Amino acid sequence: MIEVSHLSKSYRDLKAVDDVSFQVQSGEILGFLGPNGAGKTTTMRILTGVLPPSSGSVKVSGFDVFEQPLEVKKRIGYLPENPPVYTDMTVRAYLRFVASIKGVSRKAREGEVDRVAQKTNCTQFIQRVIGNLSKGQRQRVGLAQALLGDPEVLILDEPTVGLDPAQIIEVRQLIKSLAGKHTIVLSTHILPEVTAICQKALIIAQGKVVAYDTLANLQHAHAGAATADGQTGPMPSLEEIFLKLTSA
Amino acid sequence: MKNAFAIAKKELNIYFATPIAYVMFTLFVVIGSYFFLRLLGAYEQASLMYMRFNSPEMMNRLNFQDAIFRALFGNLGVILIFVVPFLTMRLVAEEKKQKTIELLYSTPITPGQIVWGKYLAALAILVCTLALTLLYPALVHLVARDAQGVEWRSIFLGYAGLFLLGAAYMALGLFISSLTESQVVAALITFVVLLMTWIIGWSAAETEGPTREIVTYLSSVSHLDSFSKGTVDLKDVVYFLSICALGLFATHRAVEAHRWS
Repeated sequence: MIEVSHLSKSYRDLKAVDDVSFQVQSGEILGFLGPNGAGKTTTMRILTGVLPPSSGSVKVSGFDVFEQPLEVKKRIGYLPENPPVYTDMTVRAYLRFVASIKGVSRKAREGEVDRVAQKTNCTQFIQRVIGNLSKGQRQRVGLAQALLGDPEVLILDEPTVGLDPAQIIEVRQLIKSLAGKHTIVLSTHILPEVTAICQKALIIAQGKVVAYDTLANLQHAHAGAATADGQTGPMPSLEEIFLKLTSA
Repeated sequence: MKNAFAIAKKELNIYFATPIAYVMFTLFVVIGSYFFLRLLGAYEQASLMYMRFNSPEMMNRLNFQDAIFRALFGNLGVILIFVVPFLTMRLVAEEKKQKTIELLYSTPITPGQIVWGKYLAALAILVCTLALTLLYPALVHLVARDAQGVEWRSIFLGYAGLFLLGAAYMALGLFISSLTESQVVAALITFVVLLMTWIIGWSAAETEGPTREIVTYLSSVSHLDSFSKGTVDLKDVVYFLSICALGLFATHRAVEAHRWS
């Protein structure tokens, strides 16, 4: 579904993303991990066609992001780091606008707005001006926006930032329920989140891939040395693997 | 085109949800009305004076178009210089500042549609601003039914000229807004640029020959005069339309280039 090969991006002399390759199968959820400034957001911007890559290629559903950007953008829902909301608009007007530029037909628009508002629990403040909403509410509006038009691929940059614990659990469940139908790439700082929802993890540090595998394989690979009676060592948590890999 | 309309609708939604459009409408009408009343007073005095001297040929020559509206349109053109920067400042600058431009880049719309949509919204606001001043010819028409009355054809040509002038200003403002993240900087630079296109005409009197021709041609407000006289000069239409085209083209390049920076 998503094929990234030898992707690099430099800002002047800073190499933000360095030769990153990975694939995400249809219906999979990929957890995208890395310390701050590792190049997660840059990679996600390139995946969605917001930024052009310096070299390498990205294909989404068989379309090259650089060659056929409109075809790719039709199939992608994107939640950036900061929810891209217009603070002077009401939630409903905003969602209507995003639905219209995503090509949702006029007839289906109202139903689609209600559907995503319900899914992300935005219904109770849908008539309010976004500027007056709390950070968590804005984050949910941002998530609702990404779901509009029911795109095949969802790119979510730290979707649970700013939410309270109850909402975090709700959003995690929402994302889990989207798996199978949608292909999801999700970046986060919260490691248990990856353990809770993702099948695969991609860890990057300083722009380079340091680990890319299923969670189970990662744990096996980094398990402690075998003990005398032939048992494998204690299974490491994702935290331990993360710290070990990114500190190098 | 559908996408451009969606953008335009969103821009208008924000224009009317924030005070900026209303403040600018009020400002335009208040200053415009001041000029209109001054010109009306001068007209009154002139007609009283001609009556006292009993000179019917002078009275015949006195008409609303020349005495009031020609000067009024010139003044409204100058007020646009003060109003337009505040109407265009947030168009692109705010999208960059709030990072909402990332939303536009990640949805299936092209930079061309973004620029068109924003420009269409700006033109719609311009039409609203100008339409408010239709009150002046309407008032004169109401009071002066028996006299020669208002030459509506010339009035509408005058408005067409004002619209073209405003459209050119809006295109420049849109471009400058696309160069910065700061609305204040965008407004300030737009204001200076528009002001320059007006005051460059003042120096025409001091020059001669080809220099004078060039300076006069560059001055934006001077191109309004043929319209307010009730004629259309192709030279002026070309001047305004080429500024619009230049501004839109440059904005398109700037929006496209922003992704590569």
